[in-house]
Amino acid sequence: MDISSLGAARNYAAARPATEPNADQPGAGEAVKDLARDFAATLRESETLAKASMTGEADPHALVQALAQTELAVEAAVTVRDKVVEAYQEILRMPV
Amino acid sequence: MAEFSDALSVTASGLKAQSRRLRHLSENIANADTPGYRRKTVGFRTAFDATGAPGKVELSRVRLDPSEPKQIYDPAHPLADPSGHYTGSNVNLVIELADAREAQRSYEANLKMFEQTRQMAQSLFDLLRR
Repeated sequence: MDISSLGAARNYAAARPATEPNADQPGAGEAVKDLARDFAATLRESETLAKASMTGEADPHALVQALAQTELAVEAAVTVRDKVVEAYQEILRMPV
Repeated sequence: MAEFSDALSVTASGLKAQSRRLRHLSENIANADTPGYRRKTVGFRTAFDATGAPGKVELSRVRLDPSEPKQIYDPAHPLADPSGHYTGSNVNLVIELADAREAQRSYEANLKMFEQTRQMAQSLFDLLRR
């Protein structure tokens, strides 16, 4: 009994380095930040175009294109968010 | 993602080009009876934007049709010369209407491509959602 728990503790200690964050590798955080910035830029562009077309300055084709692109971007973001939340909930539901 | 948005912007440039073509056609038709008017023709050419990648379409410079304008016999017209003729326009309505119909068809084709691109992107995300 005692010995087996000691073995488990040793195994756990041995496994720890494998799960430590690797400092010299760029994590997913940077990529996600870039993606979010891109997403915000797309949204901002379509908002500016929508405003410009209300005042008759922008071409309606450009407006339609920008809105379709924004729709795609929002849909992609929502889908990825749903997936991430789902995965997180799956982890929470795990019996510990 | 980038492919879809490139396709969307190329299609939008096609839509814009066709609608500008239609604008010049309606100018020609509106001026069919204007004395001395020469019909305007526009060509299409591939455009490269600053990033270089997508082959958009744009209109080239407007050119005037060099064909001879019609001589119309109407002695009562204020522009009539001693023989009773005056210079009309060189617009042929049949050509303009056929061209307008072609512009409409091309516009529809571009619209369909736009719709199809959106549907493809939508289906891709639907796949992820399951």
